[in-house]
Amino acid sequence: MQELAVSASGLVKRFGDRRAVDGVGIAVPKGLIYGVLGPNGAGKTTTLRMLLGIIEPDEGERTLLGSRFPRDESDRVGYLPEERGLYPNMKCREAIAFMGALRGLPWNTGRQRAGALLESAGLGHAADDKIRKLSKGMAQLVQLLGSVVHEPDLLVLDEPFSGLDPVNQERLELLIRAQRDRGATILFSTHVMAHAERLCERISVIAGGQVRFEGTVDEARALLPLRARYTPHQDADAIAAMLPADAVRQEGSWRFTVPDGGIEALLVRLIDAGHGISGLSIERPGLHDAFVRIVGADAMADQPETVA
Amino acid sequence: MMPRFLRHALTIARRDLKATVMTPTFLLFLLSPLLMIGFVVIGGLSGQAAGAAGEARQVIVAIAPAGQQDALRATDRELRSVFTRDSARPRLRLETQQADTAKQARAVFDSDTMEAAAVLYGPLDRPTVLRRAGAEAEGRYLAALAAQTLRAEHAAGIRSIAHFETVAREAPTVSGRGQAAYFSTFAIFLVTLMLSGQAVGAMAEERSNKVIEILAAAVPLESVFFGKLLGAFGSALLFVAFWGTLVANLPKLMPAGLAGALSDLSVAVGPIFPLLLIGYFVMAYLLQSAVFLGVGSLASTQREIQMLSLPITIFQFAMFGMASYAAGNPESWVATAAQVVPFSSPMAMAARAANAPELWPHAIAFAWQGLWVAITLTIAARLFRRGVLKSASPKRGKRAAA
Repeated sequence: MQELAVSASGLVKRFGDRRAVDGVGIAVPKGLIYGVLGPNGAGKTTTLRMLLGIIEPDEGERTLLGSRFPRDESDRVGYLPEERGLYPNMKCREAIAFMGALRGLPWNTGRQRAGALLESAGLGHAADDKIRKLSKGMAQLVQLLGSVVHEPDLLVLDEPFSGLDPVNQERLELLIRAQRDRGATILFSTHVMAHAERLCERISVIAGGQVRFEGTVDEARALLPLRARYTPHQDADAIAAMLPADAVRQEGSWRFTVPDGGIEALLVRLIDAGHGISGLSIERPGLHDAFVRIVGADAMADQPETVA
Repeated sequence: MMPRFLRHALTIARRDLKATVMTPTFLLFLLSPLLMIGFVVIGGLSGQAAGAAGEARQVIVAIAPAGQQDALRATDRELRSVFTRDSARPRLRLETQQADTAKQARAVFDSDTMEAAAVLYGPLDRPTVLRRAGAEAEGRYLAALAAQTLRAEHAAGIRSIAHFETVAREAPTVSGRGQAAYFSTFAIFLVTLMLSGQAVGAMAEERSNKVIEILAAAVPLESVFFGKLLGAFGSALLFVAFWGTLVANLPKLMPAGLAGALSDLSVAVGPIFPLLLIGYFVMAYLLQSAVFLGVGSLASTQREIQMLSLPITIFQFAMFGMASYAAGNPESWVATAAQVVPFSSPMAMAARAANAPELWPHAIAFAWQGLWVAITLTIAARLFRRGVLKSASPKRGKRAAA
């Protein structure tokens, strides 16, 4: 069993009558980039805040960096909240050093590292500018740098990509990978599948306050059958009868779900019938489709689905 | 190594203090009492000027034969040394007697060149004094002037020459103590009233710029609150140090008479009193600010914070009322109550320091008030956690079981 940076079981949080989080469990192995995926309002932020000890769960247990009291380990944790906030009158360098100081980093060390971090993030020119002068995206990067300046063992990012343009999203991905390479564990939440697909080594999908899926990205995609795109040499209406029922004709090609037994038998029949093969591709559906399937299907079912 | 709690609080306090002090607004805040002093001085001066102008025109008149006028003038000079500046009678004006003195005296009141308050005429042993309504004292003065002049005429050569010496009292007078007690209560009240309201908006600021999530994630809320309190206290301390230095040097600049009157305000505990006064100011500030910080943290808009300022001021006045009653009546049960109720305790205990010489109750009072600062902050942090973060407090008890 791999060592876990974060683990929790049966977390419940009620806001009034609503169970915002309803029995969530999570196990984040050390040294991984781990994604918490879910639609808006699924309970991602509340779960992260409970894991960090900002709020206490009504039920359930959690362990963070080996401690049952997450706050005791707060100096080893970096956190980017969903609601970004910095003191508008503070200079970038000071803001980063302040966030480090809150986590136990001496001010001077913080200032020195802030300079280097800003430089590497392409913001070296703004080190002595006040936060209020920065664009929203730049301020967000500064806050992110502030959450890694003390070189935390665990980095928790709540929707880190929202509000960033593609260039800055790219910078952020690089930064996250660099933190992982340094040995940190990264736990982040998102509802944008593209980032999760590129970055995450494992994911949890949360919807309606419950975990719907836990596993690797490939395992999630494997929940959906393969899709085939077949272009016959000689197109004919008769082909439809030979293909699975869901086949759709599209500009001289056919799209259909690969049958359970594999596509080979079907191909033999198509060749024997003289239709020929001018093009054939077999693809896994993306995480996006898997996500929609997991969240959509399980919204109706009661039991969360997991892959062992 | 500093305890984490204190380290966190100091980090936050340092940021807050820097953010407060390094702004032009702070200079305005620091110098704002100048405005108050300026208005008081201007108001006082112009009031005095108006009064002085009226008094300068007023006169009292003695109608006498030319031969008597020098004697009257000399007696007037002698009598005037009895009066202080405030109670001095209007200037004396001598008029030479004409044929119909009664008519002449009445005419004086209608004169355009002077405002006569009272007029004396007739023989000195049986003079007639005319006076305007409200000028009774001026009339009596003219009568006394006549009597004294007559006495001097008849007993020429008899003189009494006094020798003056100034003596200071060794032990403070009871009324001096009472004044010192009230003065210390009032000083603490005024300074906390001016300064502690700052804390109300401290948490609202954090919530409006969303930094609270960063703070709450990194640092226990209790540390956040204590840090905010220390930060606000730092700027208050700068304010007090600045004005305290000025005020402390004031007696050197004051006329000797006034400084002597101040030295009469001695206190029962002796020279340690200024230290106690500072200590109680610190406690009063911390206690009240802790309450305001807690109450303010639950308000979510600027409007709500403004609404809170009235009840807060009323609360402060109530505490001051109780403490100042205690200052005047040190033996009463109200005094004991004011010393025990944590929020009036610093003011009441400062008054006690002026009234009673024992020192041990002050040690207890400091401990008691310190405890209440901690209690208030803990309650404030819990209310914030429950009301704003919607969370219970961490259950530390579980650790022992685990």
